[in-house]
Amino acid sequence: MFGTRLRKTRPHAGDDRCVADLVAALGVERVRSDGAARLLASTDASIFRGGAAGPVCFPDSTPQVQACVRIAAVHRRPVVARGAGSGLTGAAAPLGSAVVVSTTRMNRVLEVDVENRTAWVGPGVINLDLTHHLGPHGLHFAPDPSSQQVCTIGGNVANNSGGPHCLAYGVTSAHILAMEVVLSDGEVVMLGGLDAEPAGYDLRGAFIGSEGMFGIATRIAVRLTPDPPAVRTLLLSFADVDSAAATVGAIIAAGLVPAAVEMMDRRCVEAVEDFVHAGYPRDAEAVLLIDVDGMAGGVEAQATKVDEIARGLGGRVRVAADEEERQLLWKGRKSAFGAIARIKPDYYLHDTVVPRGKLVEVLRAIHEIVDRHGLLVLNVFHAGDGNLHPIIAYDSRQPGMSEKVREAGREIIEVSLAAGGVLSGEHGIGVEKRDFMPLMFSDDDLDQQARLRGAFDGLCMMNPGKVLPSPHSCSDITELTEAKGDLWG
Amino acid sequence: MDLGLDRSELDACVSCGLCLPYCPTYRVTGADIYSPRGRIALMRAVQEGGAPLTDEVVDSFETCVQCRGCEPACPSGVPFGHLIESTRESLVEHGHRPPLRLRVALHALGHHSLLLAGSSGIAVAQRLHLVPKGLPLPAKLPVRRSRLDASGDDVYLFTGCVMDAWQRDVHAAVKRVIEACGFGVSPTGGDAACCGALHQHAGLGDDARAQAQRVVDSLGDTKVVLVDSAGCGAAMKDYGRLLGTAEARAFSERVFDVHEFVAGHVDGLPGVEPLDLRVAVQDPCHLRHVQKAHMAVRSVLKPFVREIVELDDEGLCCGAGGAYSVVQPELSHLIRDRKTAAVEEVAADVVVSANPGCLLYMRQAGVVVAHPMELVARALDA
Ligand SMILES: Cc1cc2nc3c(=O)[nH]c(=O)nc-3n(C[C@H](O)[C@H](O)[C@H](O)COP(=O)(O)OP(=O)(O)OC[C@H]3O[C@@H](n4cnc5c(N)ncnc54)[C@H](O)[C@@H]3O)c2cc1C
Ligand code: SF4
Ligand code: SF4
Repeated sequence: MFGTRLRKTRPHAGDDRCVADLVAALGVERVRSDGAARLLASTDASIFRGGAAGPVCFPDSTPQVQACVRIAAVHRRPVVARGAGSGLTGAAAPLGSAVVVSTTRMNRVLEVDVENRTAWVGPGVINLDLTHHLGPHGLHFAPDPSSQQVCTIGGNVANNSGGPHCLAYGVTSAHILAMEVVLSDGEVVMLGGLDAEPAGYDLRGAFIGSEGMFGIATRIAVRLTPDPPAVRTLLLSFADVDSAAATVGAIIAAGLVPAAVEMMDRRCVEAVEDFVHAGYPRDAEAVLLIDVDGMAGGVEAQATKVDEIARGLGGRVRVAADEEERQLLWKGRKSAFGAIARIKPDYYLHDTVVPRGKLVEVLRAIHEIVDRHGLLVLNVFHAGDGNLHPIIAYDSRQPGMSEKVREAGREIIEVSLAAGGVLSGEHGIGVEKRDFMPLMFSDDDLDQQARLRGAFDGLCMMNPGKVLPSPHSCSDITELTEAKGDLWG
Repeated sequence: MDLGLDRSELDACVSCGLCLPYCPTYRVTGADIYSPRGRIALMRAVQEGGAPLTDEVVDSFETCVQCRGCEPACPSGVPFGHLIESTRESLVEHGHRPPLRLRVALHALGHHSLLLAGSSGIAVAQRLHLVPKGLPLPAKLPVRRSRLDASGDDVYLFTGCVMDAWQRDVHAAVKRVIEACGFGVSPTGGDAACCGALHQHAGLGDDARAQAQRVVDSLGDTKVVLVDSAGCGAAMKDYGRLLGTAEARAFSERVFDVHEFVAGHVDGLPGVEPLDLRVAVQDPCHLRHVQKAHMAVRSVLKPFVREIVELDDEGLCCGAGGAYSVVQPELSHLIRDRKTAAVEEVAADVVVSANPGCLLYMRQAGVVVAHPMELVARALDA
């Protein structure tokens, strides 16, 4: 499928030998070293801009990934794995002229075992493509990040990503059985296994969420989930955020386990409605999008119960009439981040998790912080598990704006943690949240994390400068952020 | 370097990447540089960040099929088609002109009698086996074309350039169907020879505007203008923006894809025995992503065939892209391979596509294709 010969490009000044070795090993069509390709590999979907990315490689097999890692080591260059670049924390943005290993060509579903509900996939398989591929078998891959149409399974593993339906089904780590990994010295290891209780330490579990710092996953065994026999989608709208939050609490307290419970505030609803035209109510201060699934009878009963609870708390209820309407409503929810540009050109978001009981309190505090800084916030989040996504929309070209946004971000994290929350629910730490780690972890905690990292990658060659703040990180971050040489050289 | 791009249009992109899988060139390369997000980032880098217009940057812009599959996928409404058109025009101004053979070909499009004569010449040469295989030409061009006479004065049927030379049968079928709906058809012929879409895509803005003005001038009354080529229809609906005049805006309001029009009159068509065919619908990009009129093809076709099936590729481009298949054969073939795989999957008797370029390009790959109106006409005549 990927037969195309990418344009042969001029090597980047200063790394001719590294590029030459990569070209010799992978072939000229799998290595890009021009300024344009480097520029694009220096960012992901976050506002963080990395240094000059090294050459960008497009391997299509484990031995080719091994070759990339080994050659990088010879030339003392770090290595950064890159999936779709949809990450929101700068985790895929390389620091310090790293060799970038793009997994997009390792995008084949290698094997599907319908009976045992498992599949082996390449790390570059797009999340939604996998689910689509499994459709005829009545199976799907349960983690469904809102970016699922573009993000890769490798990226999901590296960030331990979640999604609306992870409320009932669990996040990525619950759906990964094993993976083949290329370590920083080029060795290939298998972590985890297909049997229910693999022997030894759960290194699979350690790798999931390691943000590319432990190695590059080259094959992944995923658990497949049967499609629910019936699904009902309800859109609840409320005159205030408090009633919406109270409804979430009451639903859970009633012992219901909806597949997904998502909340959006008015500004967010307006932005997405402009895109999807799904009939989201523009006059509501908050909406909840809820999926209940299971056997048909049970679904009816759950939907009725949710309906009662919502009405009892002053909500209006709309039930999606058919699959088309259901899809459209979900498309709206999943487009929320992208739709923000309809309001301002830049956005900065956090993804702290707070105890459900504190939702209202923390949301109020967030509004207070943002107002005080004269900023604008939109809220769209996984209400069922208290995973907030306050999005500050702004224009980075206004002087002093970025600093203000960062400061507000910091305060949001502080109030979330003070409420007993955690720093990141699903997007990971990357560079953007790296320096907030000490707010959550003690020096000892961070040292332990650095030691675990060192066990996988003693020389700190895999995605250095991420997650762990200096001095717990094994490399000097200030040096790393400096681009070596001119991008367009 | 100034690419003449509107800052607020560039700003609309938040780099979320949700458009990537809907971009055919990203799908077949997996490379950011061949993605909409990457192209926008490079436009920014060149226009606002002082990045040089290197060969690779130009390559990124020139490999865009201009299918606009990225537009409906974008939650923040980035007008990508407009951005890339302006970029291409600036490239031309900075000396990155399209290849000579393309410029010559595009020049001919506006000279209708020359085009018809030239096409007949090639047709004769084909019969004498003088034309090398593998050129982007129909296997057997018509030497002579049947006349397309006016049957009334209710609606225009825009006949265009290449399509009139190579696929006049399609026009005849379309005319037949519109007449069956109860309208007299006036084919536009040589005066409104070419819509200028291909010029515009190639960055030849002045030529495009000149062609557009000619079309507006020569169809200057109030009749609706029906178009059976999705690419032309999309361009003509955009004349208002392209020419920026009230006259052009009024003209664009009168333009309809023929399926949109017939869908509104399908009840007026006689009930006939449906053709015993399983038909797959391939949506031309400019019908689906730009005109958003692709559902009309289904409603028009439904009463006239046994079964309609959808391709499972969410409307991804077929790779034809006007002149794209000629200028970027490598990427274009890879994109078409995906399309033919999707076609094989559904095992249809015939694939319909409402755009001459797509028809031709898929036919070259051995796919059995027809214009939707050809099937309707055939059912009506059976
Ligand atoms: C609009 C939008 C909505 C989003 N919604 C959600 C959401 O609901 N839930 C959620 O959790 N996230 C969400 N995200 C964030 C993001 O999409 C996820 O984190 C996703 O899993 C990243 O995948 P990717 O392929 O884009 O990875 P990238 O961004 O390319 O990389 C992310 C990290 O993974 C590493 N990596 C990639 N491939 C490998 C590999 N094969 N081996 C080892 N490391 C690897 C990289 O080095 C990097 O550290 C959203 C993002 C956007 C833009
Ligand atoms: S979907 Fe729109 S906003 Fe997102 S990267 Fe693509 S063009 Fe930019
Ligand atoms: S117009 Fe088509 S080819 Fe060009 S960037 Fe958009 S989706 Fe890709």
